[in-house]
Amino acid sequence: MVRKSKLFHLIAYTFLSLFAIINIVPLFWMVVNSFKEEQEYSRSPFSLPSHLQFSNYAGAWKVANMNTYFLNSIIITFVSLAVTVLLGSLAAYFLSRFTFRLRGTVYGLFLLGMLVPIHATLIPIFLIMQKVHLLDTRLALILPYTAFHLSLTVFILEGFMRGFPKDLEESGVMDGAGIYRIFWSILLPITRPALATVVILNFIYNWNEYLFALVLITSGSLKTLPLGLSNFAGIETASMTLQMAALTIALIPIIIFYLLLQKQLVSGMTAGAVKG
Amino acid sequence: MHTLKGTKLAIFLGLFPALLIYLGIAIVPIGLSLYYSLMDWNGIGSMSFVGLDNYLDILKDDIFWLSVKNNLIIMVTGLAGQIPLGLVLALLLNRKMKGSGFFRTIGFMPVVISSVMVSMIWGMVYNTEYGMLNNVLGLFGAESWKQNWLGDSQWSMLSISIAYIWQNCGLYMVIFLAALQNIPDEVNEAAALDGATGLKRTLRITIPMIRGTIMVGVVYSISNSFRVFDLIQIMTGGGPAHQTEVMTIYMYNSAFMNMRYGYGSAVSILILLFSLIVISLLNRLGREKNA
Repeated sequence: MVRKSKLFHLIAYTFLSLFAIINIVPLFWMVVNSFKEEQEYSRSPFSLPSHLQFSNYAGAWKVANMNTYFLNSIIITFVSLAVTVLLGSLAAYFLSRFTFRLRGTVYGLFLLGMLVPIHATLIPIFLIMQKVHLLDTRLALILPYTAFHLSLTVFILEGFMRGFPKDLEESGVMDGAGIYRIFWSILLPITRPALATVVILNFIYNWNEYLFALVLITSGSLKTLPLGLSNFAGIETASMTLQMAALTIALIPIIIFYLLLQKQLVSGMTAGAVKG
Repeated sequence: MHTLKGTKLAIFLGLFPALLIYLGIAIVPIGLSLYYSLMDWNGIGSMSFVGLDNYLDILKDDIFWLSVKNNLIIMVTGLAGQIPLGLVLALLLNRKMKGSGFFRTIGFMPVVISSVMVSMIWGMVYNTEYGMLNNVLGLFGAESWKQNWLGDSQWSMLSISIAYIWQNCGLYMVIFLAALQNIPDEVNEAAALDGATGLKRTLRITIPMIRGTIMVGVVYSISNSFRVFDLIQIMTGGGPAHQTEVMTIYMYNSAFMNMRYGYGSAVSILILLFSLIVISLLNRLGREKNA
């Protein structure tokens, strides 16, 4: 029995290590080579860099307009996130704490959105944005990002708020607080754990989004990080190390974000997938 | 609560902004897609009603069927790669062993990275002249194994599938792992009393216990496969010569490259239909098995 379990352990660890290596190696290979000059890379793609070459980073930062893309991504991601979470939590509050006609219908409508694939709406959204002259503006991305993530946001927050005891609001009512006052000072503070989850989810989805950006944004000065990077790759095909440096710059913040908030990210993205 | 004055108005005001944005941008466009799909329109001139002509044209186009075939390849390889691999990883990590947290962290990492970055990284891995894969093969002296991984139609879909599995596998791993951790201890204890151990217990008891979750994973994997766009658009753009085109890219090209908005809308409706059909078939299948 003991020998059998030892053998099993060996196989298990070998398998897991192989998996981990396959997951890490492409990233590691990229980061290491981003510190080499182009010639050094083509001569010896597997050695460690002879000395740390930061010229690719300076080059990538300038040539690829990384600061513009970062700024756009930050603005668009955070504005969409703030609007989604604010409107979503307000909607979740009324859906979970009140009874009214059409409550079920409204809730069902919100859930429906989790089944809608974005490409089924892409062409009409493009045409609508064109018609209202929002094409190629930040708002053109903020609106769809908000709309498409309201479903999951409402779903998660509604489920959480529903769990609070019925008499929670009573003290507020006794003090004469209005409906919105109760929402802001009683309900929202205790919803914090669920709010953290939806903030993180909205952040990662908005930050990584590509298809809407590709269709709705054309000016270089408005491009988000994924869109800018993909364009850069198309132009700078000659220099792989420059591309690697640009990708590493974009990769590092997201890896740090992931390592810091791993638990919420994993559980949130899993819930998002399973319910969606 | 509902005794408060002005409640109805407050509810309306609270729900209205969210509903407005959501309905206007996520729901109404689906109806518009259906409407545009019956039109011929290049976005500039006038729109003309053409009935089902767009659909008929699409179904007559060989490139469309090529893209359907490629979608099926992604669907099948995705299912065959992500689900079993995710399940095995979850089963291994569910045993309380040293380092399982580390493997979980590494395993989920690609899920968090944007598909744009994943595509670019894998594009460099597959690069014919300077790519990692061909370099590794050269290192082992396997010169004849070197391939033009993305440019050669013999390999391109397989190469894309591998990147696709690499990107998503970790998600299935954590979905299954969460389900495994929800199995009550009593079940395992009872199984142990009955003498079920090792592989037998895994196959007969553990896996059937999470059958529902596996089914959710299968459905998600299928609907995800119809949504693939970023990965292929960036790695190959659907090329060479449409060989790696999937339906979403076919739609994108018809609408935004050839400016045929009606035609593109019809494609998007077909994608929606295809994925709904496959998923409802699967649901029926699941229900019959349960009965």
